[in-house]
Amino acid sequence: MEKWTYWLEHKLASPMTKLSEQRHLRAIRDGVISALPFIIIGSFFLILAFPPVPEQTWIAQWAQQHRSEILIPYRLTMFIMSLYISCGIGYHLAKSYRLHPLAGAQLAIAGLLLTIVPTIINGNTFVLPMVNLGGHGLFVAILVSIIAVEILRICQTHRLTITMPKQVPTSVARSFEALIPVAILIGLMTLFTVILKLDLHAIVSYAVTPFVRAGDSLLGVLVPVFLITFFWSFGIHGVSVVGTIVRPVWEVYLAKNAEAVAAGHPIPYISPETFYQWFIWIGGSGATIGLAFAMLFCAKSKVSKTLGRTTIIPSLFNINEPIIFGAPIVLNPILIIPFIICPILTATLSYIVTYIGWVHPTYIMVPWTLPAPIGAYLATGGDWRAIILVLTNILISFLIYLPFFKMHDRKLHRLEKNNQTNF
Amino acid sequence: MKVLFVCSGGLSSGIILQTLQEEATKQGVQMKIKSVGTEQFETEILNGWDIAMVAPQVRHRYQQFKAAADLVQVPCEIIPLQAYSPLGGSMLLETIKRCLGID
Repeated sequence: MEKWTYWLEHKLASPMTKLSEQRHLRAIRDGVISALPFIIIGSFFLILAFPPVPEQTWIAQWAQQHRSEILIPYRLTMFIMSLYISCGIGYHLAKSYRLHPLAGAQLAIAGLLLTIVPTIINGNTFVLPMVNLGGHGLFVAILVSIIAVEILRICQTHRLTITMPKQVPTSVARSFEALIPVAILIGLMTLFTVILKLDLHAIVSYAVTPFVRAGDSLLGVLVPVFLITFFWSFGIHGVSVVGTIVRPVWEVYLAKNAEAVAAGHPIPYISPETFYQWFIWIGGSGATIGLAFAMLFCAKSKVSKTLGRTTIIPSLFNINEPIIFGAPIVLNPILIIPFIICPILTATLSYIVTYIGWVHPTYIMVPWTLPAPIGAYLATGGDWRAIILVLTNILISFLIYLPFFKMHDRKLHRLEKNNQTNF
Repeated sequence: MKVLFVCSGGLSSGIILQTLQEEATKQGVQMKIKSVGTEQFETEILNGWDIAMVAPQVRHRYQQFKAAADLVQVPCEIIPLQAYSPLGGSMLLETIKRCLGID
């Protein structure tokens, strides 16, 4: 058994965690995360524009009449999330190279903007089409931001910069330092977009479509679900590892779902990150809410009773490290079984229920520390059936964890009786 | 002693801190503790801490934390799995003392 866990942790889990700590992937992760406040607040305006109340009420009437105005804050934040994300990626990647972060952020923004050709209206008004700054442009934003910062880095390591004498103030010297990398980036992007007339967004979108489709299939949901609990089984933050690689796709789903709702179209994707958060990770990764209840109501041993009391409140707000390390689930062959099985079951159920249209797909992002029924209700734009699905999943979680918890608890209880515990 | 904790979002270590604080009070140890998320670690570590403790679930990022802590010569250690629990207060305090070379 020990050899087996050693092999799993050192040969399987640790190369994957190393991959997730790769410099560029890390910059993408931190860049995407830096945009989340804008996505959360921006998506809030979708609830205002489509309030979850009957159509005859004055609120619904008012929202309908002013919908396009209500959605303006959304259009300038979540709807163009790739602009914010590219800024974040440029900043974090430059910082990781110990380059000037602001220069990295600005270069990334310039790179992204130069993939888009402004439309000319009335002969002299230039309009920037926004759609490629949104979810549709996210992969290009990632790619271009990385290229932009790499140009900056290559110029610095090869001393391809205009260096000013020491007497020149730092801020002035910095702007001169950036001249050559900016010239190279703008030259390159102009060559692509203006001279060769390449539509990078169409090309990249064509290339990633199979992955984007696959990620929204049932298997595409179950694989990350399994991997996240697999990492947690060794006590490694699963979402932090898996999310580093998958989160860009999750954000694309969320962005496209929100765009569809704002445009009055059917919602295209089942599984943005919000789907995992509200329907699967109830009480935290591994859907441990059921275990928290089992501990609170069915514990015999003193240890479990104490843990049940201390972990229930954080569990309601989806914080479950105290349970994962306290129970413990980590490296515990008994509790790892429900920890892995339960989310797979609730994920499958939630996927099917959403697929056949009994519950709206999620398209609004709310802070992950809300209790799940509230979070699910808001994330689906106010679908009360989402609450029923969450409560069902909580019941499933409780029933699956209960027998394994009892087994685990009996062992602790016996140990306590024999006075062999150190607690 | 001043101990800085880092976990993913700074929330779970906050809960562990309460346990540690209770244990420290019980043993009569003067302690200033704070928990931060991975994002704030690099700036917070500059504010004069005696030791930085890394939550086990983010141990795959230990090298980065250590690099930041090394710059200001603050020791940086990973919390053992068993100590990162609401019931692990005394073990956690022991670990910190040992890392700092205090009995």
